[in-house]
Amino acid sequence: MKRRNILQVTAAGVGAGIAPWAFSQGSSAMLKPGKPYAGTEVNLLTVVAPQFKAHEAKLAEFEALTGIKVKYQYVPFGSTREKLTAELVGASAQYDVLSAMDVWGPSLYNLFEPLNGMLAEKKIDMQARYPNAHLRAARDGNGNGKNVLGFPIRGHVQLMFYRKDIFNQLGLKPPATWNDMVEAGKLIQSKTNLSGVAMYYGKTGGQNLMIWFNYLWGMGADLLDAKGQPAFNSPAGIAATQAYMDVLIKHKAAPAAAASFNETDAVNSVAQGKSAMVPVWWWRYASLVDPKTSTLKPEQVGFAPLPSMPGKDNTTYTNTWFYGINKNSKKKAAAMEFLTWLSDPEIERSVLLDKSMNEVVAMQTKNLLDGDVNARYNGMHVYGAQALKGAKGTPLFAQWPQVSDVLEAAISELASGQKQVKPALDEAAAKVRRIMRA
Amino acid sequence: MRAESSQLRRLPVHWVLLAPALLFVAAMALFPLGYSLLLSFREWKLARRSSPGDFVGFSNYINLLTDDPEFFEALRVTGVFITADVLLTLVVALGAALLLQKTGRLNTLARTMLILPFVMSPALIGISFRFFLNAEYGVVHHLIGLLIPAMKDTVWLADATLSMAAIVASDVWHWAPYMTLVILGGLASIPTETQEAARIDGASGFQVFRDITWPQLLPVVAVVAVLKTVFALKAFDTIYTLTNGGPGNSTKTLAYFVYEQGFSYYDMGYAAAAAYLLTAALLVMAGFYLRLAFAKNR
Repeated sequence: MKRRNILQVTAAGVGAGIAPWAFSQGSSAMLKPGKPYAGTEVNLLTVVAPQFKAHEAKLAEFEALTGIKVKYQYVPFGSTREKLTAELVGASAQYDVLSAMDVWGPSLYNLFEPLNGMLAEKKIDMQARYPNAHLRAARDGNGNGKNVLGFPIRGHVQLMFYRKDIFNQLGLKPPATWNDMVEAGKLIQSKTNLSGVAMYYGKTGGQNLMIWFNYLWGMGADLLDAKGQPAFNSPAGIAATQAYMDVLIKHKAAPAAAASFNETDAVNSVAQGKSAMVPVWWWRYASLVDPKTSTLKPEQVGFAPLPSMPGKDNTTYTNTWFYGINKNSKKKAAAMEFLTWLSDPEIERSVLLDKSMNEVVAMQTKNLLDGDVNARYNGMHVYGAQALKGAKGTPLFAQWPQVSDVLEAAISELASGQKQVKPALDEAAAKVRRIMRA
Repeated sequence: MRAESSQLRRLPVHWVLLAPALLFVAAMALFPLGYSLLLSFREWKLARRSSPGDFVGFSNYINLLTDDPEFFEALRVTGVFITADVLLTLVVALGAALLLQKTGRLNTLARTMLILPFVMSPALIGISFRFFLNAEYGVVHHLIGLLIPAMKDTVWLADATLSMAAIVASDVWHWAPYMTLVILGGLASIPTETQEAARIDGASGFQVFRDITWPQLLPVVAVVAVLKTVFALKAFDTIYTLTNGGPGNSTKTLAYFVYEQGFSYYDMGYAAAAAYLLTAALLVMAGFYLRLAFAKNR
């Protein structure tokens, strides 16, 4: 059996466990006939991403189908939340379509128009199209509400990227558990001049929580209990956090600099040949193999599902961006036509298969399991689908930004050796209780 | 004729001419200031409502001053930052100004180059310093390791004290050159006759500085100190890009705290109240500045 066939069979196997297959028809067929919005200009405010540039390059096709012009306005990630806040405060209609990240959603529900009516009219089945971990990010009611506020457009799962050449040289297998990762890291450090695993414990937008969550879930702990009160300082939570910190502090399997690293620093550490592993979002693959940003060649970079706790399923923290329609927009119907067209799985697939770029982002279940897509990326998307199957998704509640700040400050303090795990988590829990009360 | 002229004088022509500028200032400065002051007395959590909610009196201010340990921690951090930042900026600027006050081609070139750090974006300075101090490939980290081998393995941005030092260093690097130019202006305005007379009377260089130059330069130094305090109180971009307020909250200043309340937590009323407390501190400093400036003019 050829490798491609193996991937297709694997994909089908994973798919069978995810959802009943009701892959939708092409979205172009769902556009309103007769170009009723010809001449309308739809303004889109979006975060910068190569995927969106690729979408923009295809706009001529949409304009020919509908007569609607779409104008992209890009904003860097660091300024996106401020920009959305300004739109919400000003009740502005400047932009018709807005991009937002999952964890901001609960604070920004008032900014987005519910799409339920329009989706029903167009017979778009969101459940069939998207994995639940992504879909809940675009729902109100903290991910459980009845209103769909947007189309998941960009999203990530975490993978373990590793130096394939070093692993081969030392006869190592990709780590299946977090303990394996530590042991592999220690061995690599003893046999080469590389650091083991580039973790990131520094303080930047909650990035130091993204791997921590996997330790937490893997140990059977969680962020909050059923009453919405802190549960991360339970005995399991403390053990998980201790194990997470021990990679740096006790085992020293991470570079000392990881205490202040953010995600980009960690990826750079691998890309610049300083570290042998990094657990990170799959979209970072492009920068690990891009000669402009990396010293590594594609054949040196391997990937595997994120390690798990021994005997437990793989987990992943997820990240989801969605495109929704501005509640104050005067061109909602035209904006919906655009989103209908853009969410066509074929558009996502064409970007995935575009060999001029290494854009790995797939949101739609159909594309996650697509044989050609998996053949091009050596099965990366099957891993993604597998991880998404049981993914809990990001925490969705209005106080999350504050809670996230408290927790990332605690992790950063732990990494700098200022505190011990239990008192630090207890102190953070007291702060979180106060936040949840307010 | 006289009656006509008097009538013209009574016409508020000057107000008509000033009106566009006044309207512009009102729209761009007074309205936002007034609106945000009103907001500080209202409850407005963007996650709950898209328009300002009820008036809550002074409760935002009361919560800040009685029930928010992070606010006081941010105040403490701000105090540490301002003290170190202002003192170091003054010392560096004064030293550089004294070195550059003599005329000469090299000094003229150096003075011209002083403007370069000042025109750089604070956000860019923060990012650059983050690279400089990176423990794997940072050039400054490497140089410090060569000069002080004991610090070879120091992770600057993972240590609370060193992170604060990094922020102070980046801010001094940004502002000291500009302040040097201001002090150079002050030095140029001191009559050279008194200094020459002191030298003729046998005073040493240090005595000339202490007894002749420094007393005459003091008003300028005071203005520089007040201005730098105001700028340090507002400092945000460098901190945001260099440390994100970390490790922990060890470099989270009041300006950063205000940003978080508004743009991370979407609590506009609370953010406005915190911003007004920051503004009150700035107004006090501005008052000092005006008194010093007027005293100088008198």
